[in-house]
Amino acid sequence: MSMIEIKGLVKAFGDLEVLKGIDQNVEEGEVLCIIGPSGSGKSTMLRCINRLEEPTGGEIYIDGNLVTEENIDKMRSKMGMVFQSFNLFPHKSVIENLTIGPVNVRKESENDAAEKAMRLLERVGLAEKAEEYPRNLSGGQQQRVAIARALTMDPDVLLFDEPTSALDPEMVGEVLDVMKDLARDGMTMVVVTHEMGFAREVADKVIFMDEGYIVEEGSPEEVLGNPKMERTKDFLSKVL
Amino acid sequence: MEFYLKGFLIACRGIPATVIVSLVAIVMGAAIGLLLALCSQVKSRILRAIAKVYVDIVRGTPMLVQALIMAYGIPQLVQSWGIDFKWTDYGGMAIPAVIVCGLNSAAYMSEVIRSGIQAIDKGQMEAARSLGMSHGMAMRLVIIPQAVRIILPAFANEFVTLIKETSVLGYVGVVEILRHGQLWNSSSYQTFPAYIGVAIAYMILTIPLSKLINGYERKMARKEAAA
Amino acid sequence: MKAFKKYLAMILGAAMIFTLAACGGGADNSAETDDSSDSEAQVLRVVTEATFAPFESTDEDTGEIIGFDPDMMAAIAEDQGLTLEWINMEFDSLIPAVNSNQGDIICAGMNKLAGDRAQMADFGDTYFESDLMLLVKSDSDLSGIDAVTSDMKLASQIGTTGGDMVQEMKEEGKIADSVVLNQWTDCYLQLQNGEVQGVIVDKPVGEAYLKSHGDIAKFAGESFGDHEEFAFAVKKGNTELLDKLNAGLANIKASGKYEELVDKWFS
Repeated sequence: MSMIEIKGLVKAFGDLEVLKGIDQNVEEGEVLCIIGPSGSGKSTMLRCINRLEEPTGGEIYIDGNLVTEENIDKMRSKMGMVFQSFNLFPHKSVIENLTIGPVNVRKESENDAAEKAMRLLERVGLAEKAEEYPRNLSGGQQQRVAIARALTMDPDVLLFDEPTSALDPEMVGEVLDVMKDLARDGMTMVVVTHEMGFAREVADKVIFMDEGYIVEEGSPEEVLGNPKMERTKDFLSKVL
Repeated sequence: MEFYLKGFLIACRGIPATVIVSLVAIVMGAAIGLLLALCSQVKSRILRAIAKVYVDIVRGTPMLVQALIMAYGIPQLVQSWGIDFKWTDYGGMAIPAVIVCGLNSAAYMSEVIRSGIQAIDKGQMEAARSLGMSHGMAMRLVIIPQAVRIILPAFANEFVTLIKETSVLGYVGVVEILRHGQLWNSSSYQTFPAYIGVAIAYMILTIPLSKLINGYERKMARKEAAA
Repeated sequence: MKAFKKYLAMILGAAMIFTLAACGGGADNSAETDDSSDSEAQVLRVVTEATFAPFESTDEDTGEIIGFDPDMMAAIAEDQGLTLEWINMEFDSLIPAVNSNQGDIICAGMNKLAGDRAQMADFGDTYFESDLMLLVKSDSDLSGIDAVTSDMKLASQIGTTGGDMVQEMKEEGKIADSVVLNQWTDCYLQLQNGEVQGVIVDKPVGEAYLKSHGDIAKFAGESFGDHEEFAFAVKKGNTELLDKLNAGLANIKASGKYEELVDKWFS
């Protein structure tokens, strides 16, 4: 059974059809990178997986369970999400950002949640920032906290929506390092990204999207190294 | 000069009543206003319509009219149904007055809270939902605490407004600041000293509050600039 | 109404004596009016508080101020060749209004014996005398003002003798609370709704209310408190105008017009 199964996913905003029928599986432990020009629908596809956008048509299964409006809260806690703009809670300290989910959604005790939060902060190298507020952290640090927060719910899958696009270039590396670390540990990840180097190094599978379709998919070597489709070649020639 | 001092001291006797009524009304206004603001955010058309009609009615009629309806009309209506209802049994005429002030405040607060909530970045809700929080939990833990900081100055301004608006209470027999002045004026005919005293008593309450609000806003602005 | 007829007889008697006594003054007045022919064309502003039926109230249909006072003043004005204009305001604004020249005459069922009023404005001759009554709900057991207990609430109108009295009773701990409202109608509403146990009211005002609401309320016991004398008033020192009004009042009492009006409004 695949970790994520996407069947005939369609999403329209009014008359504008952004996703025109997407079928894709992500296996357990797999890292899937989604690349493509802006407006190609890649972020929308990611957001449809955890229903931040409500799909217009099609079905999504997580670990064999159909995602519906009713079970969405439960399903979301199986999927961590990392946003382009971090979206840390500014009124909470770093550690509170990490305990708010487990304590309130899973009713874990404050102590257990705090202990786990510290482990995760150590993992992203920010244990000493636990009591700081997000506004006092650099962008790279904020994004690493956001990744740690996404991990607090012990997700089966992590979804990354252009996690480095809002960062200054010198901070991109520290975030990608954390992500590589996660990938090595066998985390199932879906990453919408413009970082071709990261995709080449870490991805098990790369898909290239354009105008609401998956144009090309395969191993990083195939899609990035030896693309077959004109549109893929065209895109890669612009970004590489 | 002696009359002015007397007028002021007499008006000051109304300060506890004015402050208590304003406090209760603002708490009530904030609670109902929050409910209304949440109603106007949900998908249910009925709830949204209720919130809108409420705001239209309350903001479209003078507070004095509402106070008279609440204080005199409601008991008469309820009694006509054969139920023995009078405000005196529930704490006196201050109760309908407080209710009206609170309901009025709620209409205004709902707008303030709504715009406060809308000022919070959409990503905050998404981040909260992606942790598995329900919409309500996300509102309670993430959105509203942030919105509160934005709306705090407007909230305090509303408190200043309420302190002044509670003067309608006098019409239903609650003796607050203005009423103390009116009563004294009616027996002494010291009209100017009486109402100057009333004005100063109100200013003692409102001016420090306004100063506090300004200070808070400046502090927040500095914080924004530093971040 | 029997007691009332007695009053009337008293007033008329007083009026007759007054008329005779004032005869000499009348001559002076007419001489003065000749001198100041300008002021005759001038409209005199009468200020009142029109929720004091039957003395003055606002006509539901026309919005006009009607009642005993407007009719009486109209008769006086006709007698003295004056033109009047009525202005409705809050009761406790009336004296300040004439003192600040926003009105010329107060005619509002005002008791000239209450408080320091007589020092704040010049009052004319008494045109009506009244006493206070306790108005209670028709099913009330209260036997009179002396039976009021410290757990009760009493209402009255601001600026009236009753208003002063309920506040005094509150201060002396004789009642739980005094409810002093801007309008009699609000006092009646609080009585009807059961918010207060009684309303201290001027007798003729209470009588007018009972005429239409006898099923709801009644008087408890006998009259009490200070005797009241209603009079019109002018700004302090405006004796010229006051003399005219007094003369007019004396004339309509003598002509029977006054009695006619009392009959119209109080029976």
